[in-house]
Amino acid sequence: MIPKFDYFRPKTTEELVDLLAKYGEDAKMFAGGTDLFVLMRDRLIRPKYVIDLKGIEELHEFSYDEKRGLRIGATVTLNELLESDVVKERFGVLWSAAGALADPTIRNRGTLVGNICNASPAADTAPALLVLDAEVEVAGKGGERTIPIRDFFIGVKRTSLKPEEFVKAVRIPNPPAGAKGGYYKWGRTRGEDLAVVGVAALVVNSGKRIVRVALSSVFKTPLRVPEVEKVFEEEGPLDEQIERAVSAVQEKIAPITDVRSSKEYRIHMAGVLTRRALKELFGGS
Amino acid sequence: MSRHKISLRVNGQRYELEVEANRTLLQTIREDLEMTGTKCACERGDCGLCTVMVDGVPTKSCLVLAVEADGKEITTIEGLMKGEELNPVQRAFIEHGAVQCGFCTPAFIVAATALLKRNPKPSEEEVKEAIGGILCRCTGYRQIIDAILDASKSGK
Repeated sequence: MIPKFDYFRPKTTEELVDLLAKYGEDAKMFAGGTDLFVLMRDRLIRPKYVIDLKGIEELHEFSYDEKRGLRIGATVTLNELLESDVVKERFGVLWSAAGALADPTIRNRGTLVGNICNASPAADTAPALLVLDAEVEVAGKGGERTIPIRDFFIGVKRTSLKPEEFVKAVRIPNPPAGAKGGYYKWGRTRGEDLAVVGVAALVVNSGKRIVRVALSSVFKTPLRVPEVEKVFEEEGPLDEQIERAVSAVQEKIAPITDVRSSKEYRIHMAGVLTRRALKELFGGS
Repeated sequence: MSRHKISLRVNGQRYELEVEANRTLLQTIREDLEMTGTKCACERGDCGLCTVMVDGVPTKSCLVLAVEADGKEITTIEGLMKGEELNPVQRAFIEHGAVQCGFCTPAFIVAATALLKRNPKPSEEEVKEAIGGILCRCTGYRQIIDAILDASKSGK
């Protein structure tokens, strides 16, 4: 049984802004509900007001522009992303992360914006957004603002959103020319589970090497490791650079022991997956 | 708690209901409409046994509010027969013995029927992907996969 609440389904962002200004602290928004209703059933949160975003057509916009890149509205589902050729061909790291999240039935409801607003350290799409330098479009009573994704996550299940704000969309600029990427997820089973460790990597191997790595499930927030990027700024033998990147990742992360894995195993697998990701992404070009 | 008037079609029939905000689509199907073919197990989106089609899309009904189903077309296991005739997936499940305890069977058949409508000739990988959100704890997945592939070959 889900605890009691009042349900609202605004039709415009103006209505939503008013609802949030009135009920902010006591309200929760949802699109797919695949995180929210589990948390409510477990009594981990008890919102008095629940706001369904699917009535607002504007939030379902999903577009691509050659110059500006992708824009993914708050109610765009993960399967809608996965069906997009542009995402598959140009934003491979995001495509592979979206496909690793939960299972295909959940992805019919679950959304990218919901995944980041839930702000689990294990959020599968977050590392991909971190290496892609995504931006979060936010609106509320005080107007609109843009939050770089690296400033969005501030703690376990905590974001820099204010109670009266909501996320309109995530914007993702075009990755550097020639970039390849992937999300490497390690779980207890091959089927649906939260990640023991997840590694998103973006690599450019034409001329100067560019490498960006971010991880899930190894820190209080999803985490990008800029030290990896510095390793590849200087020239050097690739194998050595990859090993230095592995060490940089293992030094930076601070995982916990929980039901899925020990801390030590997470540190080990973060290294294994980082090495695997970089070897594969450099190998194929 | 807020109450809501909703109008939805379930297996081709229209229903007008009044539901409380916290009622799930699964509860409405099983308790209000008394269609108990759709099963209730984990109630947290893990097992997939409550899978129904919402506008043709496989959906875990334990994580959908009844009020969200307003204006939607719902298909459950009870809605798959044409008159007295089983659909090809149902026939194939019987032929392949793709049932052990049977508790997960409605969900697999609903998900497989939705898959074949969208992709009439799936590969084995595509079948596995499509049923990836449903658990069979008797672990008889081989027969389930074979049955779905066979149903896709038997055509309409």
